[in-house]
Amino acid sequence: MPSLKELVKRESRFVSGHRLCGGCGAGIVMRLVLLAIDKPVIASCATGCVEVATTIFPYSAWKIPWVHSAFENSASTISGVEAAYRVFKREGKIDKEIVFVAFGGDGGTHDIGLQALSGAAERNHNVLYVCYNNQAYMNTGIQRSGATPKYAHTTTSPVGKVIPGKIQWQKNLVEIMVAHGIPYAATSIPGRWNDLVSKVEKAVKIEGFKYIEVLSPCRLGWPHEPELTLEISRLAVETCIWPLYEVVEGKYRLTYKPKEKKPVIEWFKLQGRFRHLLLPENAHLLEEIQKEVDRRWEELLKKCES
Amino acid sequence: MKRNLLTGCEASAEGAIHAGCKFYAGYPITPQNRYPEYMSKRMPEVGGIFIQAESEISAINMVFGAAVCGFRALTSSSSPGISLKQEGISYLAGCELPAVIVNMNRGGPGLGDVTPSQSDYFQATRGGGHGDYRTIVYAPWNVQELYDFTYMAFDIADKYRNPVLILADGIIAQILEPVKFRKPKKKLPVKKWALTGCKGRKPNSIKSLFLTPGILEKHNWKLYKKYKKIEEKEVKYEMYFCNDIESLIVSFGTCARICYETVKIAREEGIKIGLFRPITLWPFPYKQLENLIKKIKKIYVVEMNLGQMIDDVKIANRKNLPIYFYGRPGGGVPTPEEIYNFIKKNGSNI
Repeated sequence: MPSLKELVKRESRFVSGHRLCGGCGAGIVMRLVLLAIDKPVIASCATGCVEVATTIFPYSAWKIPWVHSAFENSASTISGVEAAYRVFKREGKIDKEIVFVAFGGDGGTHDIGLQALSGAAERNHNVLYVCYNNQAYMNTGIQRSGATPKYAHTTTSPVGKVIPGKIQWQKNLVEIMVAHGIPYAATSIPGRWNDLVSKVEKAVKIEGFKYIEVLSPCRLGWPHEPELTLEISRLAVETCIWPLYEVVEGKYRLTYKPKEKKPVIEWFKLQGRFRHLLLPENAHLLEEIQKEVDRRWEELLKKCES
Repeated sequence: MKRNLLTGCEASAEGAIHAGCKFYAGYPITPQNRYPEYMSKRMPEVGGIFIQAESEISAINMVFGAAVCGFRALTSSSSPGISLKQEGISYLAGCELPAVIVNMNRGGPGLGDVTPSQSDYFQATRGGGHGDYRTIVYAPWNVQELYDFTYMAFDIADKYRNPVLILADGIIAQILEPVKFRKPKKKLPVKKWALTGCKGRKPNSIKSLFLTPGILEKHNWKLYKKYKKIEEKEVKYEMYFCNDIESLIVSFGTCARICYETVKIAREEGIKIGLFRPITLWPFPYKQLENLIKKIKKIYVVEMNLGQMIDDVKIANRKNLPIYFYGRPGGGVPTPEEIYNFIKKNGSNI
């Protein structure tokens, strides 16, 4: 892995001037992912905050060839580009080594884009898919998604007398991708740059379909103080809500183990969408989540041990 | 009567609720996000079902599922999302299932933009998906009409067992206007054809797959007869300042509302001009427009697109009058003065 000194010397291929919010996690993710790759990159991007905020015509924050096509098609579009590249290479029209990256938010990956993602993984295109998971449809105004955590308030799972926020559990897409038998799957956060950079660096060296899901705090949707973005992403790891691990050829490995597992409330209390969980009458909901987080953590530890 | 200050999305949602709609499936897309948000709160309050689907395709097929069970079912979206729904709408039409679909038209093609547009006219009025079918299309020009038409659409959908489309746009979706409510419907039509469990009766069958030679053709001729009946009975339109006219503006939806102001300006200047506004875009008021065209010398068509309704105006224009088109494609909204200046200059003959 390159040192921080070496990394900052590399040319940034995701540059300032975009219109993402101050304190947005996704912008940090994009920049780190591209910094970690030392080859030419072609990227596709699903509709979402990143796509809208970084490519408002005639401006672009991307210093790489970049393509967008509809909401559900980031994985399909990059599949087509990668397949075309292979043909060009076979015919001797291109000899450059190019890394193909697809970006998508959780809506474009977990929900509407799942079919395209699954197809690309099954065909095993030589692509790295990076999902920046901010746990709701933030671009359209904070609607719940398949990745929204249980009991989170969103504009389509509003906290009220009838329901205490979203009533379903979030999908575990990393496990779904592992079940596809892809050579590499991992989780990461923007708050541990070395974790994200080393995983991207490792992934792009592997032939085939790779999936990295990065928890991406959203100051408007979660909402939290903008200066807490990195800290809040680290706190998700410290509470074991978002464990950092990777699965190489089916083999699980924990890439970071918290010294002391913090209670989930530490993460919840910094975010407006979980405010109702702090009320004494909702203590049982908090307990339910703590129990499930504990169970999933133990399950993951077992997978990593075996 | 009490008036309620609502956005277009909210008003349409209330119209549906008052019409007895108990099922809504939606998905986020600007500029109709207020629709699913509002429904997520309102549907549980009225004992209905709100589902946020994982895609527009899923939402329209949930509507299909609810409609086949006899529910009054609704979905809303905006242009790219409506494109995704087309397969489902074709199946609804083929299976003769009633449902209401609201399109808050935004600029296209592709991702386009999120500002108001009328560029989905062809898609709305020519079926939209695959196969020989039509959907009834209402084009409201203010929030009150959006409420009224949504309220009414469920009856029409049930009456003809056909999907009904409301074609509004990003302005009507988001603008706040006072709305008068109608009486909530308590008694809804009995749907004997619905799949509700066949204990004690003969099983119902609803399908759009007819493989035996000749059967599909028979089915489609049946649909044709239904469409002819709708063309006869359900045409809606309005005329303004059309008593002593030499020329006419034809426009629909938001654009017609702007043209209404243009006509007022022109009238003050002594120009004998009127406004013809189709309310049902399909069935289009051909006869009524043709009758009006007999009295005039010039036609202006104003649309927020590259010229789509103009094709229908041409069909009604048997007199072969010159038609002048003014269009704002790509999300731009014209001002009354802008259209007035165009009329003064006459524009180019098409």
